Amino acid sequence: MTQPLLEVNDLHTVFKTKDGVVKAVDGVSFELNPGETLGIVGESGCGKSVTALSIMRLQRPGRIVGGSVVFKGHDLTKNTEEEMREVRGKEIAMIFQDPMTSLNPVYRTGWQVAEPLRLHHGWDAKRSMVSAINMLGRVGIPSAADRARDYPHQFSGGMRQRVMIAMGLTTTPAVLIADEPTTALDVTIQAQILDLLRHVNREFGTATMLITHNLGVVAGMCQRVIVMYAGRIVEAGPTTDVFAHPKHPYTWSLLRSIPRLDAERHEPLKPIEGLPPNLIDLPEGCAFHPRCSFRVERCSRDTPRLQPVGDTQRAACWVTQSGVELKGA
Amino acid sequence: MSSRGPLEPAVKTLTRAWTSADPLLSITDLKVWFPVASGVLQRTVGHVHAVDGVDLEIKTGETLGLVGESGCGKSTLGRTAIRLITPTAGKIVFKGQDITNLRGSKLRELRRDVAMIFQDPYASLDPRQTVGDIVGEPIDVHGLAKGKARQDRIQELLRVVGLNPRFVDRYPHEFSGGQRQRIGIARALAVEPSFIVCDEPISALDVSIQAQIINLLERLQSKFNLTYLFIAHDLSVVKHISNRIAVMYLGKIMEMSPGTQLYKRPRHPYTGSLLSAIPIPDPVVEMRRERTIIQGDVASPVNPPSGCRFRTRCPRAKEHCAEEVPPLESFGDEHLAACFYPLD
Amino acid sequence: MIGPSRVAELDMPGAAVETAAGRPAQSYWNESWERLRHNPIGMAAGVLILIFAVIAILAPLFSAVLTHFQPQSIDLAATFRPPGSTHMLGTDELGRDTLTRLIWGGRVTLGIAFLTVGMALTVGTTFGMAAGYYGGWIDDVLMRFVDTVLAIPAIFLFILMSILIHPNAISLAAIIASVGWGNVARLVRGEVLSVKQRDFILATRSIGARDFRMMFRHLLPNVLPVLIVAASLGVGQIILIEAALDFLGLGIQPPTSSWGNMLTNAESYFYHSAWLVYFPGIMIFVTVLASNIFGNAIRDAFDPRLKT
Repeated sequence: MTQPLLEVNDLHTVFKTKDGVVKAVDGVSFELNPGETLGIVGESGCGKSVTALSIMRLQRPGRIVGGSVVFKGHDLTKNTEEEMREVRGKEIAMIFQDPMTSLNPVYRTGWQVAEPLRLHHGWDAKRSMVSAINMLGRVGIPSAADRARDYPHQFSGGMRQRVMIAMGLTTTPAVLIADEPTTALDVTIQAQILDLLRHVNREFGTATMLITHNLGVVAGMCQRVIVMYAGRIVEAGPTTDVFAHPKHPYTWSLLRSIPRLDAERHEPLKPIEGLPPNLIDLPEGCAFHPRCSFRVERCSRDTPRLQPVGDTQRAACWVTQSGVELKGA
Repeated sequence: MSSRGPLEPAVKTLTRAWTSADPLLSITDLKVWFPVASGVLQRTVGHVHAVDGVDLEIKTGETLGLVGESGCGKSTLGRTAIRLITPTAGKIVFKGQDITNLRGSKLRELRRDVAMIFQDPYASLDPRQTVGDIVGEPIDVHGLAKGKARQDRIQELLRVVGLNPRFVDRYPHEFSGGQRQRIGIARALAVEPSFIVCDEPISALDVSIQAQIINLLERLQSKFNLTYLFIAHDLSVVKHISNRIAVMYLGKIMEMSPGTQLYKRPRHPYTGSLLSAIPIPDPVVEMRRERTIIQGDVASPVNPPSGCRFRTRCPRAKEHCAEEVPPLESFGDEHLAACFYPLD
Repeated sequence: MIGPSRVAELDMPGAAVETAAGRPAQSYWNESWERLRHNPIGMAAGVLILIFAVIAILAPLFSAVLTHFQPQSIDLAATFRPPGSTHMLGTDELGRDTLTRLIWGGRVTLGIAFLTVGMALTVGTTFGMAAGYYGGWIDDVLMRFVDTVLAIPAIFLFILMSILIHPNAISLAAIIASVGWGNVARLVRGEVLSVKQRDFILATRSIGARDFRMMFRHLLPNVLPVLIVAASLGVGQIILIEAALDFLGLGIQPPTSSWGNMLTNAESYFYHSAWLVYFPGIMIFVTVLASNIFGNAIRDAFDPRLKT
């Protein structure tokens, strides 16, 4: 068994607001193994982005108030800013949702892609530019040498995202965190970018943490998946298992509520009732129980912990932990 | 509450009487071009061909889905259909009346029979107005009810979309995205329209809320005999809610067909690649799928390619495709596609 | 058509709003006021301006009750008195009580400031709103006119107008406003253009609202925050302009006192009666500072980042 590359243990990140404390990440633990693609899926406010930012120690104005993030033997939460700068962009790279604002509009793209090399490897302008152009070509930008001299606004959304990916990969990091990398893109361009990410994962061996709200993307890209709700992990396991027999009512209901392209007949959708949780004022017990059609009395009292359910999956649910199968009309 | 019955046209007909067996909306060779100004003197240097020759009909009571990626013109088409935009050329006929160049009070009369639901639940409601004012505004603008009758109507509208009428005095920012979208829907229903253009009504909502709104829209449609033009970029959702689907690319319709047909047997290569690109939430299916990933980006709507718009990215394109614009041809069963070398 | 509905068939997702039901409805204005209240320095500045304004309005009262002098009463036997018990802030070269003149002068200065701001905002908003809303040739014509007005050097205009019309407080306010409204017009036009893009404007058009309704019920309330900020900052700016005009001899003429002309007047007496310079100077300084601080505080309170 290989050692996991990244180990997040009981991570807690909070934000102070005038209405109260928001527990954005509320006890999250998971591992990322070398070379694999892990999906973190959930809706807005579930904490998936804050988890990623906390790993990179970019969570401000939030604060990490508990837990650890172990990467190559070091606890990143204990690093100084100096030490984190060595990690960011060099060992762990991150790409974001909006390629419009992630690139600096006043610098040429080639220069920006080369920046991590200048910063982390101390290469000179010429050498780093050559490497950057090479990388731009490898992520599928035609006429890379010419395009490197262009500014971000001269690229389309999909191309900009490729530039971001190139920038992330120049230092051949061990981990690539992609936070909703295709949400802002058209679906045909999304397919291109996801294809690129698959290719990158194969060719460079970079472990990828793919954060998204789109279950279809997870199904096509990730070997393992983590489902988050209200700052906690509610289900985790191999993608095929989680989709075939979800062990948490949230995952189960979510899968049933999405219209599928390959659906045969028009079945009315079965939405999840109720509203997304208020992170300042979470309900007692399980955060999902007000919306859950399987809830029992215990769910409103005790908060379930993530436990093995079935052979390969883990779920934080009293009902499934006690052996009940999730079925419905 | 209103003197009009559900099927009585709000706009006067000039030719023979329109009935619900006729198409509700008929669009012929519609073109909407926006000028592009440049330079110090702001000269018009070109045009964005947002909609460039579209023919379509929407039957009474159906949901026509309109899909396409950014820049295809679907939003522009939707807004022009209810005359929020004046077309550059072409003809729009609504309930038998030519509304293409309607202005002034006649245009305002049209507004009593059509409505629109917007994408962004945050931007589509005036943050300075209460929910009651927002939903009541169409009633005020057209003088449909006053005093207690007006209050009752507003409360009824809120109930119908699933909101507690107690919250008439609240402001939009106190609600979640899904609830705000319901407010927008209530506002659209206030005039008792027969036709509603839904412009990406769920794209900005959380996945778990999208299904609630889709179900609500379907329920309202059968309850109030509504006809929808449902615009979205997510084909899975569009296929679920629509009777027929039109696929747009760079201002023109590439293919139009009933939903299941479109998925099972797409004819246009663009539709094929669109379907292939959509991720399906099923890992087994995803692994087995054959992907046709088309290269390149969408061409510019200011200078669209000659002949078939899609030819620059089409794996099946031949010389002929650059010379002539393929017309929409029938492939049987209400299935139309504009391609010289369609998929089989 | 919309009749009694079967409640059971509808979902009623009101959970989050239910819990908020205890609090009164929070309008944008309420929220902004709350934010302002939590800014002590900003509030203090606002309160200070308010106090000055009240004192200025009640000038005759203060004259009678506090100082027992009139602003124009000359007392040649009591010239250049330093601050003391009878004349709390001293007297000037004609024996007039400084404190009294300061209070009455405040009436003039603040009066001009508020009046100018009021006039500039009214005219500027009308132009800016029309230009921004209608666009096209209306926008072009109106904005070119504004550009022309703004291109005229203010000083020449002031000199010209001052010679043609010997200004009193009201006409002076009109003169200064005639130069300043152009900037307001530009500001309002920019804001209108930006608000116009938002979906709710299109939504209101789609229900058939007419132009006036659009402009007054929808655009104006959303443009108001910018105007309020401009007004607050404007007060400070006008006070300084008025003082500068007095210095050039173009503003309020003696014997009427304004803070600006008191300052100008005291220039030649600085070496032996410096307090004649300090007191009006301090009043101008403090008021302008307060207006700037309050203006910034309001801007933060209305902060569009917190607008949803």
